[in-house]
Amino acid sequence: MTNLLILLRKDLRGFFLSPFGWIVLTFVTVMQGWSMSGAMKALQDAPIPESLVYIVFHMPQFWFYFLVIFPLITMRLFAEEERMGTLETLLTAPIQTWQLVLGKYLATLCFYLILWIPAFIQFQVFSILTDVPPPFSTGSLLGAFLLIFLMGTLFIAVGSFASSLTSSQIIAGVVTVGLLFIHYFLGYITVIYGDRFPAASLFQHISSSEHLRYFSKGLIDSRTIVYYLTAAIFFLFLTHHVLNHRRWRS
Amino acid sequence: MIKVDNLTKRFGRHLAVAGATFEVEQGEVVGFLGPNGAGKTTTIRMLTGFLPPTSGSAAIDSLDVTRHSVEARRQIGYLPESVPLYRDMRVREYLRFRGGIKGLKGKTLHLRMDEVLERCGLREVRRKMIKTLSKGFRQRVGLADALIHDPPLLILDEPTNGLDPNQIRSIRHLIKQLGKSHTILLSTHILTEVEMICDKIVIIDGGKILASDTPSNLVSTMRSAGRISIEVKADPEKARERMAALDHVKKVIYERSRDDWEEFSVLVESGTDTRERLARLAQDEDWPLRRLHRHDATLEDVFVELTRKD
Repeated sequence: MTNLLILLRKDLRGFFLSPFGWIVLTFVTVMQGWSMSGAMKALQDAPIPESLVYIVFHMPQFWFYFLVIFPLITMRLFAEEERMGTLETLLTAPIQTWQLVLGKYLATLCFYLILWIPAFIQFQVFSILTDVPPPFSTGSLLGAFLLIFLMGTLFIAVGSFASSLTSSQIIAGVVTVGLLFIHYFLGYITVIYGDRFPAASLFQHISSSEHLRYFSKGLIDSRTIVYYLTAAIFFLFLTHHVLNHRRWRS
Repeated sequence: MIKVDNLTKRFGRHLAVAGATFEVEQGEVVGFLGPNGAGKTTTIRMLTGFLPPTSGSAAIDSLDVTRHSVEARRQIGYLPESVPLYRDMRVREYLRFRGGIKGLKGKTLHLRMDEVLERCGLREVRRKMIKTLSKGFRQRVGLADALIHDPPLLILDEPTNGLDPNQIRSIRHLIKQLGKSHTILLSTHILTEVEMICDKIVIIDGGKILASDTPSNLVSTMRSAGRISIEVKADPEKARERMAALDHVKKVIYERSRDDWEEFSVLVESGTDTRERLARLAQDEDWPLRRLHRHDATLEDVFVELTRKD
């Protein structure tokens, strides 16, 4: 347990001790602000029957920057250690491989949650500054942030997996983007081809944009929670095995 | 302390370590010698639990490195060949992190940090970023990391690689000091290093252990084999032929001609002395003889004899 915390702290500090973490934080904050102001402008231009939270998370730019966050924050995790050779010092220290995997994963998840603090503040600031009742319910705000968290658990696990496969950060990042885009477009199949075929509900079930639609209305589905968490555990399991297996062939 | 039994590692079709067997006793300083690519690093990586063996077993302090991996690793202070460090950390911060994952905490951790900083001569650079340090200091940081949890066994993979002569001296001095209280397995291909530091030598080549003994024993088994230098005045080609025709002579090499004197090296079989017969030959042939000298075998001869390919 102590080992886990030490590893977690080392990686979390790593995000803030290099300019890289601050660049990502700035990029995400700016993009969140852009989504927010775009959504407010849309509300101003025409009456929309949806809440501000719903519109912010359905702006065209949302998925664009959202999916880019993950390769940025995960590509270094194992690829960098492998390239620098420090993976050898970590794996020959008296720690278990799962402690290393979980330490890095949780550190990245913490950093990811920090990335969403600005967006949360933006929603709070809206009601303070405008002096009108917030054009969204607490439920929709919490629902949307819950799903953001759940997607984070899975997508960071996917990124960790990609990073464990290679010693090149670039390749790790490209693989992560690739996997996340495939995931995203699989969810789009029912939008493109309609839902009149037998497997349609399967595609709806894995579709993150579909889940986001419900969650940002405040409709929380326990099946979705189970889906993201089990998939995240699956990818962490794969990461653990790749690291152990790497030692077998290296 | 280390017990390696028939340890084998195969990378696909390449056999990196082929049935290595050797032992290291508590308190010994053992030189692990071999040419580049002999399987030294692979063997060490199996001992430290970084690579699992294909077959065979290795135990540290009677803890099997695959079955009790974490406990076995706790006994080892390991300095990998490339000395991997986190460039963006400060020396003290790095040692605190490494000490932490090796199970030290609180007051003990701080005491150990102060001790290894002192011992490795890192006191004045303890607040510096690792990336600003010279190669010699980085090597010391790596060594400090290996020592932080006060392990009974140190495994050092080419610790003086790429250092300048002064740095090499100081690292060797440090290792010598450490050898008084630790068991050390020191991988290297520098022979003088081994002669200066080690109690025992394990020679590996092509993944096989070729010898495992004290330096003096190794040299004495090699003593009678070896090389004789002879200088005569004669026709070089004819002299070479006549000497090569003698019993127990393996090879005669014509070295050079120095103001009419011809110098040859004569390689002879072990357990024989050919000097007398060479002298008689010179007398019979009426060659003026200026020098006849047998070279004592050195560790280098042992090493070359065991690992040369021809």
